[in-house]
Amino acid sequence: MADLGRAALIVTFGLVLWATFAGAWAARLGRRRLADSAANALLAALVSTAVASLVLLAALVRHDFSFTYVADHTSTRLSRAYSVSAFWGGQEGSLLLWLLVLCAYAGAAVLLNRRRAPDVVAWTVPVLGAVASFFAFLLVAVASPFATQTAPAEGAGLNPSLQNPYMLAHPPLLYLGYVGLTVPFAFGMGALLAGRADERWIVATRRWTLVAWTALGVGQLLGAHWAYVEVGWGGFYAWDPVENAALMPWLAATAFLHSVMIQEKRGMLKVWNVLLVLLAFGLSLFGTFLTRSGVVNSIHSFTQSSIGPWFLGFICVVVAGSLALVFARLPLLRAKTRLESLVSREATFLYNNLLLVAFCLTVLWGVAFPMLSEAVRGEPRTLAGPYYNFFLRAFGLPLLLLMGIGPLVAWRRASLGSVGRTFLWPFAVSVAVGVALIAAGAGSSLPGLLAYTFSAFVLASIVLEFVRGTRAAGSFLQLVSRNRRRYGGYVVHAAIVLVAIGIAGSAYGSTREAKLRPGESMRVGGYTLTYRSLGDTRTAGAIERRARVDVYRGGDRVATVFPGKNAYFAEQQTSNEMAIYTSWPRAEDVDVIADQIDPATDVVYFKALVKPLVNFLWIGGAVFLFGSLIALWPDAREQRRLVARYALAHS
Amino acid sequence: MTVALLLGALLAAACVVLVALPFLREPAPRVDALPAPGELAQRQLELIEERDRALAALKELEFDHRTGKITDPDYRALVGEYRRRAALALRALEPRLEEHPRRVRARD
Amino acid sequence: MARKRNPARLVIALSVAAVLAIFLLYTSLVAQGTPSLQPSDLPGRTGNVTLGGLVVGRPTGNGHDAPLRFTIRDRKGTATVRVAYRGSVPDLFRAGRDVSVQGKLQNGVFVAERNTLVTKCPSKYTPAKKQQPGY
Repeated sequence: MADLGRAALIVTFGLVLWATFAGAWAARLGRRRLADSAANALLAALVSTAVASLVLLAALVRHDFSFTYVADHTSTRLSRAYSVSAFWGGQEGSLLLWLLVLCAYAGAAVLLNRRRAPDVVAWTVPVLGAVASFFAFLLVAVASPFATQTAPAEGAGLNPSLQNPYMLAHPPLLYLGYVGLTVPFAFGMGALLAGRADERWIVATRRWTLVAWTALGVGQLLGAHWAYVEVGWGGFYAWDPVENAALMPWLAATAFLHSVMIQEKRGMLKVWNVLLVLLAFGLSLFGTFLTRSGVVNSIHSFTQSSIGPWFLGFICVVVAGSLALVFARLPLLRAKTRLESLVSREATFLYNNLLLVAFCLTVLWGVAFPMLSEAVRGEPRTLAGPYYNFFLRAFGLPLLLLMGIGPLVAWRRASLGSVGRTFLWPFAVSVAVGVALIAAGAGSSLPGLLAYTFSAFVLASIVLEFVRGTRAAGSFLQLVSRNRRRYGGYVVHAAIVLVAIGIAGSAYGSTREAKLRPGESMRVGGYTLTYRSLGDTRTAGAIERRARVDVYRGGDRVATVFPGKNAYFAEQQTSNEMAIYTSWPRAEDVDVIADQIDPATDVVYFKALVKPLVNFLWIGGAVFLFGSLIALWPDAREQRRLVARYALAHS
Repeated sequence: MTVALLLGALLAAACVVLVALPFLREPAPRVDALPAPGELAQRQLELIEERDRALAALKELEFDHRTGKITDPDYRALVGEYRRRAALALRALEPRLEEHPRRVRARD
Repeated sequence: MARKRNPARLVIALSVAAVLAIFLLYTSLVAQGTPSLQPSDLPGRTGNVTLGGLVVGRPTGNGHDAPLRFTIRDRKGTATVRVAYRGSVPDLFRAGRDVSVQGKLQNGVFVAERNTLVTKCPSKYTPAKKQQPGY
């Protein structure tokens, strides 16, 4: 069966090469049937890639160890769900997933747009084909998932720390995000190649970009939750290169989502938008490269594979080619309108873009710094938490403020007087909140205080928007239903504010370490933790050692938690199991870690943390998804308008 | 093993058919040119986008005025200009619409 | 109308310059980056560095009552240095593992900073346990 997989991948490779070269030829000479054939090749590539994927999937589920990949990533004892997750658990499988998702996105995008904008799609097909060709090439010639061997009796299995539901959701969501950014990129380049300066490529790809961006955002929050709950050191983000690899394209895509609105409303920023979509796509490729090349030192270790140089080369070709294309089409993209006033929504969007791109490039610099400093000084130097945190505050706080200012300012031009009036309410609310917080002791951290105050400002301005909009539109549902993008966007802004509040909470809170014998207590952040006893439970795969700890507040026992460690037999590994007590009334988490356990004396070294407001992150994540869904919801009126517009053009 | 190769061959054959389909369906078409908008249609598309933009801006101005984001004096100052822009955009489009009277659709 | 355009452009250009200035000032004055070294690079180095390599020999102590003492060796070499560490010890820590720790060389022994010991997980795509950094 591995032969079928290999054959299917070779067929895919041939098909996407056809899509690239025949497609480019057809677009150049304006040949309809050839262009259709190239588009069909992308659809066929989806079929053959799906066949290859099914072959791998079947082998994983059956634990067919004659497949080297299956033997390396599963074992006979591994459950079905995690055997499936091994598809994206390794290098070759994850590349296959990339290609599969790409073909699915490409096929759907082409199918839906080939009648509406045939001239743009004619050029989009070869761009999509070129990207797919790279991945197909890697899968056929460099990293094949279908290498075979004499089947060993047992496989290597999956690291126990990966055997949790996050492994089933987090990577695929991130892939939907990374790969999804290819679609707006391909359409943007396609429009340029076709010599078109109109908005069709943006209109066509708007929902795709939103889907990819949402997937990337939710994927990252899931990753943070995974880190917090499962890895358990009390934190949720460590500015690790692999984490940053997903953050950077997300930031660029956020900037892009905003600046295309300016192009839609005012016809400006055409060059900026193509550069931004190139940045987003390039960073998504770079992120894929980072997580598998071994080029940067990361906690998420990866093998020094031969894939790295290929990726780097491809990224260089893509960036150089795209920049050359943009430069060649520069006269076409010159804007006919100008920014009229600094007090306008366009201006706030421009500042939003500036800050987002600045922060994105700052993160990029931090990630690339070890490589660059090694090249320049001969030794790698790393930039860590303090560097990233400084810029998160320097750029993030103004961004937070802008989220509140933007919606209150009108497009094109707003007089300072009217802006001042609409600001009054939210400003008053935020000042009141600020004063209350200082009284409550939040002044201990200035960035934290600013974050909370700005958050109050933004939330107040969002509520104001909804209230005034409802009054003008008649009913809340009517308002949202007629302006899905705008009000869905406001909900997403509210979600980001919740996430910001959760992050700002880390500036407060406390940490304590103590060595305790059974019966002894420690204090942290107003809680008293009393260690009672140590106990072992034996399961099929591990010994679970847990310490019983009672949590008291003000003399009352509020919870009992069981931090500890699991010792896995087969894998010969220990995992840390942090215990979390969530106090909803006080809106904080108490995390207890059993750092070191001495079974002979029952002495345990504990580390306890109080994390205020950390659950706002996860709540924000849910609201984020909800807001995106509102913005994505198909709008029949808008569809009719677009159909009418393009029918008129193709007369 | 042979099953795998057979299935592989079937897959390859099916894909080749799918790719060749446009040629198989129309071995000798009258027109094989890609329906790309010509200069005129391209210009018209840009004008249509300009019109939609102007109309949307007017609508948004009204909405912003009703929700209080734009004060009365500001509104009075801007609405004339926005209406002029929209009228200009519509007028720029009209000669082309006159060439294709069938295609004139009602505004939604 | 020509005069109305310029202020906006000027302000944007100034904003970009301001952002760039903040970045350059910070990175040149404050964030120099911490060198990532292996034992062979260590002799003669003063100041805070990140030391990485493989754990060899038999570690002693547990990092809490008694400092964890172990030897780090170059990943692909023979140079070694002894390390004294206090703080949380990752579960994956053992002889043969790839680790990194921050600190400075003092009197021939690398004295590590508290809670900075980090172990890389041996297999692909598997995140290892962290102790201190970030949020």
